[in-house]
Amino acid sequence: MVSARARNLALLGALVALLIAFPFVVRGAYPKQVAILVLLYGALGSAWNVVGGYVGRISLGHAAFFGIGAYVTMWLMTAQHITPWIGMAVGSLGAAGLALLIGWPTLRLKGHYFAMATIALGEVLRIVFNDWAFVGGASGLEAPIHVSWATLTFRSQTPYYFIALAFAVLTAGLVAFYVEGKAGYYWQAIRGDESAAASLGVDTARYKMNGLVLSAGVTGLWGGFFAVHVGFVNPDSVFDILISVQMVLVAVLGGIGSLVGPWLGALILLPLGELTRVALGGSGRGVDLLLYALVIVLITVLQPGGILALWRRHGTPRGS
Amino acid sequence: MADVLASGLLNGLVYALIAMGLALIWGIMDVINFAHGEFLMIGMYTAFWLYTLFGLDPVSTFPVAMIVLAFIGFGTYHLIIRHIMTGPPIVQILATFGLSLLLRQLAFLFFSPNYRSLPHTLVHGSLRVAGVQFGLPQAVTAAAALVAAAALFYAIYRTRWGLALLTVAEDRETASLMGVDPGRVNAQVWMVGSAAVGLAGALMTMFFYVFPGVGFNFSLLAFVAVSLGGFGSMLGAFIGGVIIGLVQSLAGFYLDPALQNAVVFGMFLLVLWLRPQGLFGRW
Amino acid sequence: MRTLLRLAVLTLVLTVTGTVAAQSTVTIGAIYPLTGSLAANGVNLKRAVQLAVDIVNNAYPELSGIPLAATEGLTNLGGAKLKAVFADSQGQPSVGESEARRLITQEHVAALMGAYQSSVTKTASRPAELQGVPFLNASSSSPSLTERGYEWFFRTGPTDDTFVADIFKFLDTITSQPTKRVAVVYENTDFGTHTADLVKQLSGSSGRDLVASISYTAGASSLSAQVQRLQAAKPDVAVFASYVSDALLFVKTMREVGYAPPLLVANDAGFSTAQFEKEDGTVAAGVISRSAWAADLGTSKPVASKVAALFEKTYGVPLDGGSSRVLQGALVLADAINRAGSTDPAAIKKALIATDLGRDQVFMPWGGVNFDRNQQNSLTRGVIVQLQNGTYHTVWPSNLASVSLQLPFRWH
Repeated sequence: MVSARARNLALLGALVALLIAFPFVVRGAYPKQVAILVLLYGALGSAWNVVGGYVGRISLGHAAFFGIGAYVTMWLMTAQHITPWIGMAVGSLGAAGLALLIGWPTLRLKGHYFAMATIALGEVLRIVFNDWAFVGGASGLEAPIHVSWATLTFRSQTPYYFIALAFAVLTAGLVAFYVEGKAGYYWQAIRGDESAAASLGVDTARYKMNGLVLSAGVTGLWGGFFAVHVGFVNPDSVFDILISVQMVLVAVLGGIGSLVGPWLGALILLPLGELTRVALGGSGRGVDLLLYALVIVLITVLQPGGILALWRRHGTPRGS
Repeated sequence: MADVLASGLLNGLVYALIAMGLALIWGIMDVINFAHGEFLMIGMYTAFWLYTLFGLDPVSTFPVAMIVLAFIGFGTYHLIIRHIMTGPPIVQILATFGLSLLLRQLAFLFFSPNYRSLPHTLVHGSLRVAGVQFGLPQAVTAAAALVAAAALFYAIYRTRWGLALLTVAEDRETASLMGVDPGRVNAQVWMVGSAAVGLAGALMTMFFYVFPGVGFNFSLLAFVAVSLGGFGSMLGAFIGGVIIGLVQSLAGFYLDPALQNAVVFGMFLLVLWLRPQGLFGRW
Repeated sequence: MRTLLRLAVLTLVLTVTGTVAAQSTVTIGAIYPLTGSLAANGVNLKRAVQLAVDIVNNAYPELSGIPLAATEGLTNLGGAKLKAVFADSQGQPSVGESEARRLITQEHVAALMGAYQSSVTKTASRPAELQGVPFLNASSSSPSLTERGYEWFFRTGPTDDTFVADIFKFLDTITSQPTKRVAVVYENTDFGTHTADLVKQLSGSSGRDLVASISYTAGASSLSAQVQRLQAAKPDVAVFASYVSDALLFVKTMREVGYAPPLLVANDAGFSTAQFEKEDGTVAAGVISRSAWAADLGTSKPVASKVAALFEKTYGVPLDGGSSRVLQGALVLADAINRAGSTDPAAIKKALIATDLGRDQVFMPWGGVNFDRNQQNSLTRGVIVQLQNGTYHTVWPSNLASVSLQLPFRWH
């Protein structure tokens, strides 16, 4: 009798094996590019989910952490000639540092106020970076076109894909570790009823902060990856509120407050966006975005629990 | 300096008008309408098309814009909001975000992405009063904001209808037990809140350009205004809007115009960090 | 045995017809912001490419001098037709880059064009550089694009360095009013900040005083603070670097306040678009702008009027600075592909480098097309135009001017 946990791990292993085989089975740069986007947003959604789904605070400004990670990585590469392998780690720490800085006063805020504060944070960074010559201002920072593993500049999408896959496994593992552990237990309590949890002796401030720092650090790492993948950063592209919204979208559409949800959401939403833009974007009438918007509205109205809720409802009930 | 304050005040009153409709919906129903900016855009386009097709000036067509938006508010409530109200707030955020994108793209499709403006409106030019210069269209819009605010406050705090609204906001179940139909109240709130932003949009065409994406920046400032003032407080939203206008103008003139919004948002963050419930918030 | 023979013949036939069929169209890719805040421009640029394709593929003998206009198709490729595939950058650098990569690897385009915004052009040209596909930029004016040392990137249009220098040369010709005090109002983007830097630099070197340098964020909800600052600085000349939306708002705001700088010179972009002309043509009469193009250039080069008339007849909107440059750029690209005689990117690149078009082979007011070692067209130039009677007319250089300058600037 195989335990559920072992079975899940086996399934996961099979999935990872499939993902590793993917670039060798599917040829061409574009499918890999879409896959990279799915991994990126699946991971970002997972990171967001720690704060949004588990701790229970809706953040609409995670682009702040994303952008810090992107800028630190790119600046270290272009101004200091430090390899992004180190840069991305530093960027991740930088984003975590930002979380530590603004975490305490911001996490005190409730519900809507927290959401608004995160939006304001993202916007402040975007506007300030746009005016800051040290980081390239409005022109941004461009990576020199020098193909090498040190600069993470490649002709093919395959190396990027594998890096993204590795980061994705890391992200999923890290999030699962915390969620399934003590922290996750306290987060659930905080989300359920914060004052009750506090009265029971849970150090709510510390655990909320831990969640935010973890979330920020992971988001920052991926910001760095994004920067080297595109080869260019500017305030509008990395501090964009739409990035924050997309992170939330994948998590909610997939099933908020679950480990698998964001990945599922990304798997559906990103290819949808890509496919509609490729098929319809060239016409210049914006029909692809129209469809995208329609999908969002329909899913939120008809199936607020996300895809996962749909699956669970139709799936066989568990033995427990 | 006086000029800077004057334009800040006028802009602020415009932001206040936009914020009040949002505050009404947010305060009574606890629903965030991310499509508020697009409602503004629709109000603007209504006035624009009436001007372009029939030569009617915004000062006479704003009631039409208000009615159009009331319908749209009603429709939004019945088709979307009603179904998601009991769900988690995040779903509300996303649904209205989806709606905002939908409306923006529909405008893009039907009205084209071109920037439009009304070159010769009835109210134009500027006035110089006591050494202070201010634009007449902005002044008229600001005056309309004051009148609308007064009307809203009176309606909510001095009439039976307003009382019904407040009871629903306080406790939905008890309200229904006392004979108030929450569904009907909700629809009305959406209609009134949307009409308010329709008024703002129509009048704004006298001094601002129109295009499908025009709503976003204004809605962002409106959200900040409402949170700054404190959720659940209409007066707070009004004052919040005015403060934003003033801070934006002062920062733009004395510090750096490019950073004016950063100062607004920074100020907002500071206020929240020091006073987590906003200036006049109930909670 | 017979089946085998039939199969062989069939294969041979298919291969031959396949090859011939493959030669019958040559595909280029074009990436523009077809949605988002710059969609109006992007859609217009798409039209320009489509018209260029039409000119190449069909016979337009009246456009004499323009390569490939009088004939049908790409003559050196057996009359193969040119085809353009369009992609929406959504105004975002990462999307522009993805689309470039997709067009190269999925659509197998022979060359790329794009992308209006310099930030998107930077990223969209990266896959082209990495995969070895020519990327021709026609309408981005940021000088840094041709200073990256890229081998596959070409630009046919002028850079901001040329444009702003032109503005100052023009100011030097004005004697009827002072031009000593210069103010620059610019949007906080790559384009705007670079313009401001150039204005500062050239003010200094031409003995002028920079009395104000006012920035703003594009798409601002209010520009009153900026106008107030400008007014307070009392400049003789106000130089603007804005896109359409802000240009329209500036006009409105300044009119409200009743302030008009004695000389208003725009560094193109927003102020010189057909959009601006249409919306504010009468209101902002007197606005001066540097431009890549003007409708009256046909007086010195008849083929320019013909091309402009063709564009307006086909799309119902006049040709402007952006669409004219893209149209010309696409024609230059088509000519290079033709001279290369193949769809091999390396051959096209070689042909582009060897481009040597004369004054009469381009409809733009340029000396022709010849790429320098940075692969920037060294024969390109802009003009200075003034909005009079609802359209922009050339006022500088004197040999291309069709009207006289109306100064000082005031609102109508």
